[in-house]
Amino acid sequence: MKNPATLPGRILWNAFFWTFERATWQYDVMVIAILAFVWLVPPDWLKDPTAHGTGPIGWLLSRIR
Amino acid sequence: MTFTGLIGRICMFPLRAIISACVALKIHPNILTFVGVLINVAAAFELANAHFIRAGGIMVIANIFDFIDGKVAVELGEVSKFGGFWDSVIDRFSDIALFVGLIYLYSHLGRTDYVMVTSLAMMFSIMTSYARARAESLIAKCKVGFMERPERIVLFMIGAFTNRMAGVLWVILVLSIFTVADRVIHTYRELRDPQREVLA
Repeated sequence: MKNPATLPGRILWNAFFWTFERATWQYDVMVIAILAFVWLVPPDWLKDPTAHGTGPIGWLLSRIR
Repeated sequence: MTFTGLIGRICMFPLRAIISACVALKIHPNILTFVGVLINVAAAFELANAHFIRAGGIMVIANIFDFIDGKVAVELGEVSKFGGFWDSVIDRFSDIALFVGLIYLYSHLGRTDYVMVTSLAMMFSIMTSYARARAESLIAKCKVGFMERPERIVLFMIGAFTNRMAGVLWVILVLSIFTVADRVIHTYRELRDPQREVLA
């Protein structure tokens, strides 16, 4: 299997078919992306059984509207 | 110095002191491993009762034991094949205990959707470890894929402390599926072309 030719394709490929060590800049980027997903996605979007609310993204969207 | 490397270094300061204390007291590493799983069961119990913050605190303590057992074994000169085997088996038990705690909670809340998400996350987490163990009986090394046990445990703690367990479970599920796939593909390629392994 070869890596995709386009940059977004390569980024996704490397994120999912992970070969990097811990404490590398690629690892940092992945950690930040995961934390952003966990903390920024509104619990209501995921139908979280124990948390409620729209979170920072929901607040931002309500401001824009 | 990377951001995650810095966090690792900061965490090592208190851990070094705990390791030194265990070495001074000559606590057998297998006992540390066992104490770790018992504390993890307590964390699972708290998760099952939706006491997430308390569960997170207990997980921190449990995983200190989990982290230091190998280091204490090295410093005491107690490294053994059985110790490695015992540690791996107990780690799986700790993993499953936490997931079972959440499955109990979500079934109690009548949320079959999250019972399924948690069950699948548990299944693929176990598959991640199994795939590597089985692969390394055939090839030299199969350390590919992002979602390994330390990542899972830290995510569990983050989910517990910030009450974002749903997001954490989705991340564990998706990345564990890719990690298992990654390991299967890697092993297939290594076995198909053994020269690659020799050259690497």
